[in-house]
Amino acid sequence: MSLLELQALLPQLLMVLGGTAILIVGAWVRSRRSWLLLGMFLALVAALLAGTLEPPVAEVAGMFSTSLYARFCTIAWSLVIAATLLLSCRYAELHRYGGGEYTSLLLFAGTGMSLMSAATSFLGLFLSLEAFTLVLYILIAFNRVDNLGAEAGLKYLVFGAVATGFIAFGIALIYSATGTLHISEALSGLPLDDGLRPLGLAGWALLLVAIGFKISLVPFHFWTPDVYQGAPAPIGGVMATAAKGAVLTAFLPLLSSLGGAAVEIKQVLWLLAIVTMLVGTFSALTQRNLKRMLAYSSVTHMGYLLIVLLIGGADGAQSMLFYLVVYSFATFGAFGVVTSWAEQNEEIQDYDDLCGLGYLHPRRSSALALFLLSLAGIPPLAGFFGKFGIFHAALQHGYLDLAVIGVLASLISLYYYLRPIIVLFMQEKKAHRLRSGSGEEFVLLGACCAAILFLGVYPGPLLDLLRQILF
Amino acid sequence: MIVPLEHVLVLSTVLFTLGLICVLARRNLIMILIGVEVMLNAVGLSFVGASAFWQNLDGQMMVIFLMAMTSAEVSISLAMVVYLQRRKNSVDVRSFNEMRG
Repeated sequence: MSLLELQALLPQLLMVLGGTAILIVGAWVRSRRSWLLLGMFLALVAALLAGTLEPPVAEVAGMFSTSLYARFCTIAWSLVIAATLLLSCRYAELHRYGGGEYTSLLLFAGTGMSLMSAATSFLGLFLSLEAFTLVLYILIAFNRVDNLGAEAGLKYLVFGAVATGFIAFGIALIYSATGTLHISEALSGLPLDDGLRPLGLAGWALLLVAIGFKISLVPFHFWTPDVYQGAPAPIGGVMATAAKGAVLTAFLPLLSSLGGAAVEIKQVLWLLAIVTMLVGTFSALTQRNLKRMLAYSSVTHMGYLLIVLLIGGADGAQSMLFYLVVYSFATFGAFGVVTSWAEQNEEIQDYDDLCGLGYLHPRRSSALALFLLSLAGIPPLAGFFGKFGIFHAALQHGYLDLAVIGVLASLISLYYYLRPIIVLFMQEKKAHRLRSGSGEEFVLLGACCAAILFLGVYPGPLLDLLRQILF
Repeated sequence: MIVPLEHVLVLSTVLFTLGLICVLARRNLIMILIGVEVMLNAVGLSFVGASAFWQNLDGQMMVIFLMAMTSAEVSISLAMVVYLQRRKNSVDVRSFNEMRG
């Protein structure tokens, strides 16, 4: 690996080396707030470097690309990590987390995610995926006095380990069929009409199962609600946004360039999209817990995103990335509100506890309402434009059935997004006053609200940017 | 190459399936982790076989990384086992069922 290649990986190196340094020095300097803020600073610098530094090589070690697309993803995931660290300041103090460990683990996760989006070889893909999955095993169970956290960690560990097995075996079969680990070469080796083609397709099927586990597509979604409910709220935010986004962005260029070989895969994706949208929507209807509802909502949104993954090409990729950004702002914001309402030993999640909270904490409640309405796709907010883009692209490319089911699902979804809002504002006061949130939390929630409003009214600049960075 | 690729793949598929069955059937967390281990080692076997078949080293490189990754995963999983044992005095996954719905 030459010096130039190291220079191209500078943002990731900064995060991983900074994280290691914080982990080591954190053993002596037991401070929470300063480590979290330092980690946030490192992640922000990494995002800045990825945005401004022109990488000298196009591909690092045949494993990671340094295209505009990869750099955009690096910026996005580093910013999510920075936001999570800032959001965790009060939360970590409240639950007495080890600041150094927490910070460095989140930085490692950010590195893994940004490398995953940039991977051009199955080796890089596998290693970066594991890099952030292993970190999430620890972070989910980070609260040592919480039984639900332990259970969530156990469930994610078992499901995640099986998914690792599937992804590795899928890669092994594709490698057996094509003799290369480089993704684009493996793809061009696939259409050959020889005896090894079924082997390659079996590999792709296994890979698809593993992706289904990671981004919680039905029927591989069973872990999602439990893990989101048990995990600390800031970690839930990362898992619902960046961890899923990293997997999706890694496979987006891959499926786009699959071309004619993808007929079989596309049929499976078509079926998965329908099942995921329907099951996610109907399971969310009965939930009486905010985090579980958000989990099923994320399942449904992954179904919408599958539609555009299926369309592929520049249109599909553009609307998918736009949707991913908008969805991430809203979901992260919703988890942010839950974080800022957290008390010493519990998080306010059940609808019963939310009753009348809108009168006690009007600002945070309205922010939560705004995020949920954006997820539902109410017109002035950004979520509407995202959904419009997806269904428009689906209609243009002849996926009428998917568009109809998607529109129906988002109509039904109004019910479960409006329900917590009604509980917050319409019902009698039962809730007791919670602690007032910290300044950092308000800054973050305000930024998420502003982004949702801005992207809803004026989505042009982001769409232009996305058009530029795509392949 | 003396052993044909098909034989290696059949063997590794059988091992992988056995590991998966172990994960699905067992209720003790340690046995589940052993099942995962069998699955990942089956994968390693097929990488080595394919690497010999195609006469390139990519597969063997992947196996080395796979082993390193597996050991990292095992260390985290075993830490998790100790932690769960302390919380509930059990490593039976059935005793962790507080969340429903």
